[in-house]
Amino acid sequence: MALLEIKNLHASVAGKAILKGITLALEPGTVHAIMGPNGTGKSTLSNVIAGREGYDVTEGEVLLDGKNVLAMSADERARAGIFLAFQYPVEIPGVTTSAFLKTALNAKRRAEGKTEVDAMEFLKLVKAKTAALGMPYDMIKRALNVGFSGGEKKRAEVLQMTLLEPRLAILDETDSGLDIDALKVVSEGVNSLRAPDRAFLVITHYQRLLDYIVPDHVHVLAHGRIAASGGKELAVELEAEGYAKYLDAAA
Amino acid sequence: MKPSEIIDHPFGSAYAMRLGAKAPWLGHLPGPKTEAWRFTPLRTLASTPFVPASASNDVDVTELPRGLPLIAGAARLVLVNGAYRADLSDREFGQGLTVSTAQEFASSARSPLALLNAAYAAAGISIDAAGAGLRPIHLISIGAAGAEPLAFHPRLRITVAPAASLTIIESHVGLPGQTYFSNPVTEIVLAEKASLRRYVSVAEDSEAFHLATTTISIAAGGSLEAFHLGLGGALVRQEISVRFEGRGAAARLNGAYALSGRAHHDFTTVMDHNVPDCHSSQVFKGVADGDSHGVFQGRIHVARDSQRSDARQLHKALFLSRGPQIDCKPELEIYADDVQCAHGAATGEIDHDHLFYLMSRGIDPATARSLLVEGFLTEAVIEVSVPDVQAHFIDAIRTWLKSREIARGRP
Ligand SMILES: Nc1ncnc2c1ncn2[C@@H]1O[C@H](COP(=O)(O)OP(=O)(O)OP(=O)(O)O)[C@@H](O)[C@H]1O
Ligand SMILES: [Mg+2]
Repeated sequence: MALLEIKNLHASVAGKAILKGITLALEPGTVHAIMGPNGTGKSTLSNVIAGREGYDVTEGEVLLDGKNVLAMSADERARAGIFLAFQYPVEIPGVTTSAFLKTALNAKRRAEGKTEVDAMEFLKLVKAKTAALGMPYDMIKRALNVGFSGGEKKRAEVLQMTLLEPRLAILDETDSGLDIDALKVVSEGVNSLRAPDRAFLVITHYQRLLDYIVPDHVHVLAHGRIAASGGKELAVELEAEGYAKYLDAAA
Repeated sequence: MKPSEIIDHPFGSAYAMRLGAKAPWLGHLPGPKTEAWRFTPLRTLASTPFVPASASNDVDVTELPRGLPLIAGAARLVLVNGAYRADLSDREFGQGLTVSTAQEFASSARSPLALLNAAYAAAGISIDAAGAGLRPIHLISIGAAGAEPLAFHPRLRITVAPAASLTIIESHVGLPGQTYFSNPVTEIVLAEKASLRRYVSVAEDSEAFHLATTTISIAAGGSLEAFHLGLGGALVRQEISVRFEGRGAAARLNGAYALSGRAHHDFTTVMDHNVPDCHSSQVFKGVADGDSHGVFQGRIHVARDSQRSDARQLHKALFLSRGPQIDCKPELEIYADDVQCAHGAATGEIDHDHLFYLMSRGIDPATARSLLVEGFLTEAVIEVSVPDVQAHFIDAIRTWLKSREIARGRP
């Protein structure tokens, strides 16, 4: 059974149809990349899967391990194993990154029937994970994302992902805003999580990321539909030729 | 004001009857037509038959309630129903601190409540600080009514000598399930270059009334850092007036409130830039749930010749449900021209994007809301510069959040 199955998904925002019939299956252990022009619905797709309010699913299904995701609240989806690294992470004043991480981690552990981590274990865990991502440990004492640079926000998203160890990780342009070194470090973070029971949906505009996180499948999203699918070579072709031919075909 | 001076005032009759009689002063409280009390009606207070506190109706309090902050090295001063309790207080205050009780002293406050206090106050406490390295003071005021609703009127004066600095923490609490009315009047005088940190927590019982009047005068180069936490009571008002009396003085006046049930909390501040070259900043944040009512009234007055004044004020509040009411009234009276003045006020609800972000990490909605509320109020509490006190206030907010969850039937 596919880990994530999207069947003929239609969704609209404020009465405007954005997703117009997306069908996609992610087998466990695979990495799928989605590329496509600005405004074609990549973030919309991520948000619909993660359960953000404000989207109307007018048709279709999303299944995680065969279970209907669309019937779950956002927090239930997360505890079921869905993780979205946001294109634009929000700043939350007053809430420290560490309090947030600990609450999220323990919510997940409780859902899995595990004991909560105590302050010491948490500290050790976060020290190791921040070090691996080249982040100063002190960053977790700061308010969540507040005043973080663009690249720091993206690293913080990946830090959350490595802590929560989701079954399905969606990375929405996690590479944008990262410098060359950070791109490598973050990619290593993602690669270290690759596992037979986990799948990734990587949204990007740049083929460069896919040199580090090598995808099994690449899809072109245009006008709310999957306009083409292929292997890694499709990303190389897009880099050279752009989206013109898919936009004409899909229109 | 001496009791003898107020015999002509309506409360004079109250003073004459202070022993035993049901309070005749209730008819003289400010009514809804008085602008300063428009948002905080005193009807319920006025219709409660309070009796004055006296030794005969005191409940025997032999130990301190739980949950009070532990402030390292602090000297404790305990009041029960407004009366100083030597048995529960520290005797030694250390060098530079003079604490005297059983004092009668005048107060410059002239509001009806201050006059009421003058008429009824059993005995004042006066704290005089001189020098540096003084022990912090922890003043604990406990309301403990017996069978009848009880009224008491703590009276406090704090003076800080030139260049001296003092920290005082005040906890106003009550025994549960009791109806009492605490009417504290505090007068604070900071001499040249003196500094005071004052941290007040009002967490009265849900049946209790607390109407506090504080006046603070600051001489040249003096500085005040004050934080006020309001965690409920049937009717609570913390009215604080600051007046700069000399140049180069600074005041940071901050506070937070968290209200549920039928709690009412009112912050009323007056910042009087009476002389040039002074700085004031105010940050107040609050959250309101249930059928509660939050009020912020902040007046800034800059006199005609008070050039180069810098005055800032911010009030932000969150509605946690549809029931509460929040009233905010900033008043700026600026008569000087070379002035930096900024004020902001905003009320709203919890941000949906923030809520979604936390939920997208597996945090259930109730916990996510609690985290966000704590974060919102923490933004005001971080103004507290003493780490122990800051941590205690954040703990108190957490406890409030938990009790709210329990009230809603969550474990
Ligand atoms: N709340 C909204 N109201 C109206 N239109 C919206 C709203 N949210 C998204 N859209 C529109 O939906 C379309 C798809 O947006 P989406 O963010 O999914 O694009 P994207 O493929 O992620 O683009 P990018 O590559 O720039 O990130 C856009 O035209 C956008 O303007
Ligand atoms: Mg996008």
